[in-house]
Amino acid sequence: MIKRLRALWNNVFDRKQLDRDLDDELRAYVELVSAERVQAGVDPEEAQRDACRQMGGVQQVIQNVRDVRAGVWLDRLVQDVRYGIRTLAKNPAFTLVAMATLALGIGANTAMFSLLDQVVLRLLPVSHPEQLVIIRETGNHYGNSYGVNTISWPMFEDLRDNNHVFSGMFCRFPATVNLGYRDRAAQIPAELVSGSYFPLLGVGAAIGRTIAPDDDAVPDSQPVVVLSYSFWRSYFDGDRTVIGRTIALNSHTMTIIGVAQPGFDGVELGEPAQVFVPIMMKTEMTPHSDGLKDRRRRLSWVTAYGRLKPGVSLGQAQLSLQPLMHSILETEVQQPEFFRTFTAADRKLFLRNRIELVPGSENGLRESMRRPLWLLVALTGAVLLLACANLANLLLARATSREREFAVRLAIGAGRARIVRQLLVESLLLSVAGAALGLALAFVADRILLRIYLPADAAAEFLVSPIPDGRVLAFTLGAMLLTSLVFGLLPAMHASRTEITLSLKDRSGALSSGGISLRRMLVGIQVALSLLLLVGAGLFVRTLRNLENLGPGFPTDRLLTFRIDPSLNGYSDAETKSFYERLNVNLQTVPGVASVGFSTMPLLQGYAWRNAVLGKNFEGAPIEEQPVLCEVGPAYFATLGIPIVAGRAFTTQDDGPAKYKYAVVNETFAGKYFPGRNPIGQRFGLVNEMEPTTPDIEVIGVIPDRKYRDLRETPPAQAYFPYFQGPHFRFMTIYLRTEGDPLRFEDVLRERMRQFDPHVPVVGLETMNQQIGFSLRTERLVASLSAVFGGLATLLAVIGLYGVMAYVVMRRTREIGIRIALGALRSNVIAMVMREVLILIAAGLAAGFSLALVLADIIRSQLFGLNPRDPLTFVSSALVLTVAAGLAGFIPALRASSVHPTTALRQE
Amino acid sequence: MPTPQSDLLQGTLDLLILKALTLQELHGMGISRRIAQITGGTFDVKAGSLFPALHRLEQAGWLTSSWGQSETNRRAKFYALTKAGKRQLQTESERWERISLAMATALRTT
Repeated sequence: MIKRLRALWNNVFDRKQLDRDLDDELRAYVELVSAERVQAGVDPEEAQRDACRQMGGVQQVIQNVRDVRAGVWLDRLVQDVRYGIRTLAKNPAFTLVAMATLALGIGANTAMFSLLDQVVLRLLPVSHPEQLVIIRETGNHYGNSYGVNTISWPMFEDLRDNNHVFSGMFCRFPATVNLGYRDRAAQIPAELVSGSYFPLLGVGAAIGRTIAPDDDAVPDSQPVVVLSYSFWRSYFDGDRTVIGRTIALNSHTMTIIGVAQPGFDGVELGEPAQVFVPIMMKTEMTPHSDGLKDRRRRLSWVTAYGRLKPGVSLGQAQLSLQPLMHSILETEVQQPEFFRTFTAADRKLFLRNRIELVPGSENGLRESMRRPLWLLVALTGAVLLLACANLANLLLARATSREREFAVRLAIGAGRARIVRQLLVESLLLSVAGAALGLALAFVADRILLRIYLPADAAAEFLVSPIPDGRVLAFTLGAMLLTSLVFGLLPAMHASRTEITLSLKDRSGALSSGGISLRRMLVGIQVALSLLLLVGAGLFVRTLRNLENLGPGFPTDRLLTFRIDPSLNGYSDAETKSFYERLNVNLQTVPGVASVGFSTMPLLQGYAWRNAVLGKNFEGAPIEEQPVLCEVGPAYFATLGIPIVAGRAFTTQDDGPAKYKYAVVNETFAGKYFPGRNPIGQRFGLVNEMEPTTPDIEVIGVIPDRKYRDLRETPPAQAYFPYFQGPHFRFMTIYLRTEGDPLRFEDVLRERMRQFDPHVPVVGLETMNQQIGFSLRTERLVASLSAVFGGLATLLAVIGLYGVMAYVVMRRTREIGIRIALGALRSNVIAMVMREVLILIAAGLAAGFSLALVLADIIRSQLFGLNPRDPLTFVSSALVLTVAAGLAGFIPALRASSVHPTTALRQE
Repeated sequence: MPTPQSDLLQGTLDLLILKALTLQELHGMGISRRIAQITGGTFDVKAGSLFPALHRLEQAGWLTSSWGQSETNRRAKFYALTKAGKRQLQTESERWERISLAMATALRTT
C-alpha cells in the first residue's frame, strides 16, 4: 500500500525524473543488444538499426510503460485540468461571469446554511446529545406554570425515582441573578441545576470541578458556583486563581468551585447560562418564589431531562412512561387545591394528561427561527438553481461555438467520454472557483447579517458565529459538486453528440441548432423561478411594511426604557416599594425627561400575565381567553401617550392595602365583560385557586386598544392595576419620554442609576424604536434577503433571456436578410423577434404563477396583513419581470431589424 | 489506453519474469534471455511487452530496480525480487500449477 502510494507520488510529482530514467534504460537496452550483435560480427551501424527494429519503436514502448504507471488517471485528470484552465483563461469574460454567478449562488446558500445549522439543526455540545429528551406534560394544565417545557419538582422526583427507561434524569431552572464582584454589579443569566446535571451530560470542568451530586443534596447547604467558560474569559479575564474565591449572587456569598468546559453554555441554545448553581440553592437565587420547599404539586417550574438508556427509542420511552404518569396524576388529583375548584368533568379531563418526550435540543428560539430560516434556505436554493440554469445556458452557447474544437479532437481519436469528462472538468473548475469565492462571501454576509440583525450582546447570546466549521465546509463542497453536475452535465452530453463531418465542413454562415429548444426551456425555468422569488420578496417586504406602519398604537419616538429588579438583591417588599417611589421622584428630576412611567411587565416583549376574571355575568375561562393583566405607575399612560377615553387614570392617592382596588381596562375588556353598559364603576375579581373570589375591583378608567405582547397580535382584553396596590414588589420596567434624541440620555441615565443605588444593575437600556426594530428582526431579515434574492434572480433571468435571443437572431441573420430584401419593414422584424420573446416570458410566467399559487400556503404564517395569493403582489411582480425581460429581448430584436440584406446574404 | 491483453497472457508474462529473477538480479535484456532459456526458446519477450511489465511489477512492489554495470561493462538497470515478489511468485506458481493441471485434465477428457 505504502509502496503504491509512493509510486503514485513519484508518478505525479517526479514525472520528468521518471521519464529520463526510462529513456536511459531503453537506450542502455538498445546498446546492449547492438553490442551483442557487434560481437557476433555484424557491422555496428547495422547492429544499431537491428536493435531498434527489434524493440519496435522507442516511443511506443515509452507510451506503453506510461500507461501501466500507477495513477495514470490522475495524469489524465491533470491534463484535463490544465487544458480546462487554458480554455477558461482564453475567455475571461465568460469565466468571470460564470464564477461570479456561482460565487453568489453558493455563497448565499452557504451563508444561510451556516445560520440554519447553528440556530436550528445543531445538537447540544454534550456527549451523545441524541439520547437526551425533555419530559413535558401535555393536555390541560391546572395550576401555575413557567412554560410548556416545565413540570413540578415533586413530579420530577417521582419520575426520576420510578422510571425504567432513562439511565438518569436531571433538571434545570433558568434564573436571572444580580452578580456582585469587587465593586461591579451586573445582572447575569444563571442555570440552577440538579447534582446529576454535569455527570449525566458528560460535561467536565476546564479548571476546578463541576457541581457533583453531593453539592445538591440538602437545601441551602452548598453556596457554590461553576462559571461558564466564556463568562470566565470575559468577566474574569481567564484568571485561573478565581477557583476558591467568592462572588455575591443576589447578595449571597458563593464560592467558585470550577469553570465548565469550553463551548458549553447550558442546555438551552440561544439562552446561554453564565453561572451554574445547585438547584438546592433555589431559595437564595430566586428570593420571590420557592418551588423547592413549596411542595405544591401543580407548580411547574423545572425543565426535566432524561438520558435514554441505549437501545430505547423516544417513542418506546414515551409509551412506557404513561402508566407512571397516570399514577402520579391520580395522586395529584387528590390534592386540596384541586378539590376546591374541580368539577368531575375537570377531573376526568385532567387524568387524560400524558407525558410527551421531545428531543433535548428543542427550544423556543429554534421553534421561532425554524420556519424563517428554512424559508431563506429554500429561497437561496432557488437562486442557486437559477444560477445553474443560467450557466447551463452559457455553456450550451459556448459548446456550440466550440463544436469545431470537439470535432477535431474526436477526429484525432479522443473518445466521446473524454470530451464529456473534459467539459465536466471545466464545470468543476468553475464550481471550485465559485465555491471558494462563495465561502469568503458567506463569511462576510454572515458577519453583516449578524451585526445588523442581532445587537452586539444578543449576537453573543445566540452564540452564532460567521466562521465556517466542518459542517458548513461539507455543505459548500456538496453544493459545489452538485451544481457543477447540474449545470455541466446537460451541455457536456449535448457537446459529445457533435457530428464530426458536419462540423468540420466550413460553414461560417450557418450555425447548428445549438440545443436551442433546450435553451428556451432553461430560460422558461429561469423566468418561472424569478417570478417565484419576486412574489416572495413582494409579500415579505409588504409584511414588514404592514408591521412597521401599524406600530404598537402609541408614539414610540423619544421613548427610552430599561428594567431593574432590586428584589434580587434581597430587598424586602417594603424596601423595594420605597425604592421605586424614590426612583420615580428621582428620575423626574433628570433634565430633559418629560415623564416617567412604571410597569411590571415589559411591553411588546412577548410577555403576558394572564388570569381568569369573574364578575356579575362571567366567571373563569381557559387561559387563551383570559385577559392580560399588568401593574403600572400613575404616569404610565401619560408617558406612553395612551389617552384615557373614559373615567380617569391612576393617581398616587389610589394607594391602599396590599390588594387591588381599582383598575383601568381597555375597550376590548369593557366590551367583552360589560357589554352594553358603562364600564366605569363596574366590578370584577381575579380568580384565585386558594380562596374564594369576590368581585371587588372597581373599573375607574378605559383606554383604547393597544398592542401588548407583540406587533402581530390583535389587542387582547387588558386590565391595569396600580403597582403600589400589589401584594409584592419585584422587577419593574421603566419608560421615559424624553425631550429630544433619547439616545443622548443613555449615559446620563446609567450614571444617575449608579448614583441612586450602585448594587442594582440596569438591564436592557434602549429606545423603544430599537426594541421594536429588534422584535421585527426576523421579518426584516426575511424581507431584505428575499428582496436581494428576487433582484438577483431577475437579473439572472434577464441575462439568460438576452443570451438566447441574441443567439436566435444571429442564427437567423440570413433569413432576416432575405425577409428585408423581399420588403419586410423594420417593425415587422422587431415584431417577429418580440413575439418569440413574449412567448418565452409568458410560458415562464405561467409556470411561475402556478408554482407560486401552489406554494403560497407554506408561507402564510410568515405574513402579516395580506393574503399569500395577494393579487397586487402577483401582478406587479409579473409586470416588473415582463418589462425587464422584454427590454432584454428588445436589444436583439433591434439588432435583427438593422440587418443589412446584402451583408447577411454574403455571409455564406 | 492500455493495449488490450488477455489476463491469462499477462499473468504468464508476470510469472515468467518473477521466475527469471529467482536466482539473481538481471537487466532487461538479461531477463528476456533468461526467459528464453528456461522456456526452451518458446517465449521470446520483446521490449514492447517486457518494459511495461517490468514497470508494472515494480509499481506493485514485487521488484526493485537499481543501476549497475552489465557483464560488458555498460550501464544498465537491474531488477531484483522483493520479499513480496517472492511471495507472489509462490502463490502464482501454485495457482498456475492448479490451472495447468486442470487444463491438461480437461483437454485429455474425450
